Amino acid sequence: MVFNSLTFIAFFGCVLLLHSLPFGWTTKKVNLLIASYLFYSAWNPPFVILLWVSTVVDWYAAQGLVKARRQAARHAWMLLSVIANIGMLGFFKYGQFLLENFTALMSALGIAYSPAHYDIVLPVGISFYTFATMSYVLDVYLRRALPAQNLLDYALFVTFFPHLVAGPIMRPTELVPQFAAPRRATAQQLRFGLALMTIGLFNKIVLADSFLANVAERIYDGDRTPGALDAWAGTLAFSGQIFCDFAGYSTTAIGVALCLGFAMPDNFRFPYAAVGFSDFWRRWHITLSSWLRDYLYIPLGGNRHGPRRTYAALMTTMLLGGLWHGANWTFVAWGGLHGVYLAAERGLRARFANYRPGPVVFVALGLLTYTLVNLTWVFFRAKTFAKAWLVLRGMLGLNGAAKPILPTFSLAVVAVIVGGIVLTHWLMRARTLESVIARAPAAVVCGVWALLLFAIVTVQGAGSAFIYFQF
Amino acid sequence: MPSSTSSSDRAERGGLRGASDRYARQTAADRPGIAQPVPARPVPEQPWGRILAGALLLAALLLGGWERYWRDYGVHPAIANTEGLWAIQRRRLDSGEGDATVLLGSSRLYFDLQLPVWQRLEGRRPIQLSFEGTSPLTALEDLAGDSKFTGRVLVGVAPDLFFSGFGLHNGAPRYANKESPSQRIGQWLSMHFIEPYFAFDDPDFALQTVLARQPWPERPGNKWFLRVRKLAEVGPDRNAHLWSKVGDDPQYRELTRRIWRQDFQPSPDDPTPAEALKTEKEQIGRAVRAVAALRARGVKVLFVRMPSIGEFLAYENRGFPRQRTWDALLAATGAPGIHFEDYPELRPDRQGYYLPEWSHMTRADGERFTAALYGIIERDFWGPGASAATAEAPAAAAAH
Repeated sequence: MVFNSLTFIAFFGCVLLLHSLPFGWTTKKVNLLIASYLFYSAWNPPFVILLWVSTVVDWYAAQGLVKARRQAARHAWMLLSVIANIGMLGFFKYGQFLLENFTALMSALGIAYSPAHYDIVLPVGISFYTFATMSYVLDVYLRRALPAQNLLDYALFVTFFPHLVAGPIMRPTELVPQFAAPRRATAQQLRFGLALMTIGLFNKIVLADSFLANVAERIYDGDRTPGALDAWAGTLAFSGQIFCDFAGYSTTAIGVALCLGFAMPDNFRFPYAAVGFSDFWRRWHITLSSWLRDYLYIPLGGNRHGPRRTYAALMTTMLLGGLWHGANWTFVAWGGLHGVYLAAERGLRARFANYRPGPVVFVALGLLTYTLVNLTWVFFRAKTFAKAWLVLRGMLGLNGAAKPILPTFSLAVVAVIVGGIVLTHWLMRARTLESVIARAPAAVVCGVWALLLFAIVTVQGAGSAFIYFQF
Repeated sequence: MPSSTSSSDRAERGGLRGASDRYARQTAADRPGIAQPVPARPVPEQPWGRILAGALLLAALLLGGWERYWRDYGVHPAIANTEGLWAIQRRRLDSGEGDATVLLGSSRLYFDLQLPVWQRLEGRRPIQLSFEGTSPLTALEDLAGDSKFTGRVLVGVAPDLFFSGFGLHNGAPRYANKESPSQRIGQWLSMHFIEPYFAFDDPDFALQTVLARQPWPERPGNKWFLRVRKLAEVGPDRNAHLWSKVGDDPQYRELTRRIWRQDFQPSPDDPTPAEALKTEKEQIGRAVRAVAALRARGVKVLFVRMPSIGEFLAYENRGFPRQRTWDALLAATGAPGIHFEDYPELRPDRQGYYLPEWSHMTRADGERFTAALYGIIERDFWGPGASAATAEAPAAAAAH
């Protein structure tokens, strides 16, 4: 089920009630585990089996790792986990993509090959929970962490519903220790958790779904050629939509967990105020970028083996990171562009190691970063390269004869909301949400909270899925 | 992603270090290559109890004002016209009511046919599967593929929708097939605890919709079309009727007419005559296949051209002439049909049915119309006295 649904409100109310009843801690954890399976099966019950497979394989792989005496055996257990997880991901997420590309390759070679019909439904959130379970085995393999003490704690780590389908991607060391001793939210945590849920749902339901999604759709899913203003408005709208959608989910998830007394990590830190791309990736989808860094970039050599190897590791990481988002070459292009940006930035930093920008240049570099990030969103949002080129040509002013597409209202929406998002990110760049709330008068917090609730109810969200569920 | 673990990189990290922000904390981005610790999740110091109570009270007051505003506008709480609601009715065919009478059309069959009247006359309530702004063909194909359905189907034909294949809700059958348990529960909760009590819970009064229809200045070269406004009220079993405001409020009636008029003007996006003709033939082809599949297992299919008047009728006659569309449909499918112009009992000009915006009739007239239509159907097509020739041959109906 999605957070922005009546079903979730009813479900969450029941979970909160159960969690507050005077049961033993083990019973409460079993309740949370069952609730998490219900949460997942509310989409498609049979896919719970995949969760069980992932849980059991990685549990036994980690046990095997600990008991193994020879390095080869440790390798084997680690590989078993990686192959099982990547295999599952590959089958469900990339099977069709691989088959299509294989068919295209055969066709290019003059070999007629028509595969059998292959219609696999993508299990919701499979990319997220496979990464979470893989990090468990890899941390044990890398001797960074000890395995969980019992299967219940481990299964709950994998399945815990606030992070299950769209992150933040949690590491076992972040969550499993929280299951060791009884936890229940204090009254303050519960209320602040509800406030975070409101902020997250406002981002998703009001800003992303109700105001911005439609603008991006008209440009990216329509069949008309956009001029410069429309192409930029559509792309900026998407930049706001994807942030509000995904950061909204993360904030809601953090709030949900906090209401139950658990802490989840930050996943976004005002990314549109980033200056440079390494800064951007420290602020955008932090739990994925750090996962890729720790389990892909560093094992590939990181920056320890000279510039050439560093750039190769960087590009590999970003290309695979792009592919993680979806089985389409446009996502690979998106990751590749970010890889190029990071490599170029790295080169420039080495070349101008002593350069320190003044305040004006600093802001200009930030706006340049945001502009270049927007160019990558074109490939992320467009379903085909043809559409991506059409929008890019529009953004560059090359679709001369294009007629206006968006009405004035849509342009105003983009200007106000996306402008507001970017401005807010800059104002919050060196702050935390908590510090701003702590300094605000209580009446203002109260009023803003009421307005967010009012907006959430009156836009009448249709319970649409979060964008990142498809990843 | 972070490309370096150097201290210089860390110094620039987010700018949080050294700030007087006691809520500042590291993230996984700041801790490369190590096991990540349990996250910090501080709660800002505020009187959260009072804030929560105040926010709930204020939100309730704001929502109360919003509700009041829409009730004053003439809105009553009604069931939301969703694909989830459609799916509930669709499932009835698979749950023991496969022999039911199904109403399948666009908004005219949806708003004008009154289920209670039909039920009073037949003793059984039909299943309403029409959807506004949608050709019934996708749903007809869905029924054709469902062997559990063995009843009767009345297919409404609104020429501009049926013969163009246009469908705002063409995804309804797919939604019904794929509806998740979560969506089903959400639908049930909404129609029992939200929709019957709140008038503002209607897409036409959603905040963003209200803002979008304000008189924003037009961009040069960008003609903005007014969206269709609220036209009907829907009940839990999808019995719908025209919203009384359309008939009673002259300003609103004029607005709805103005919205229809937009469609009557030629547009650069219109298909060429050749394209339109091709599309019409495709739609008739779809109907032929679906009707053949249904009749092969004994399902009775009856087409009905619901009334329209005034500028709307003129537009339909101009763009979708009867001979080229309606007559061709009946001839190709071999199914019988009722065209309102052929029956004095169904003609607005003879019976005084009031269609305020030329396309749908008021609730009271819908009740009269339903009784009249049911009488014709029983007499000539589906009743025990209907002759086989009339029931199967369109020519007989046309000659009535």
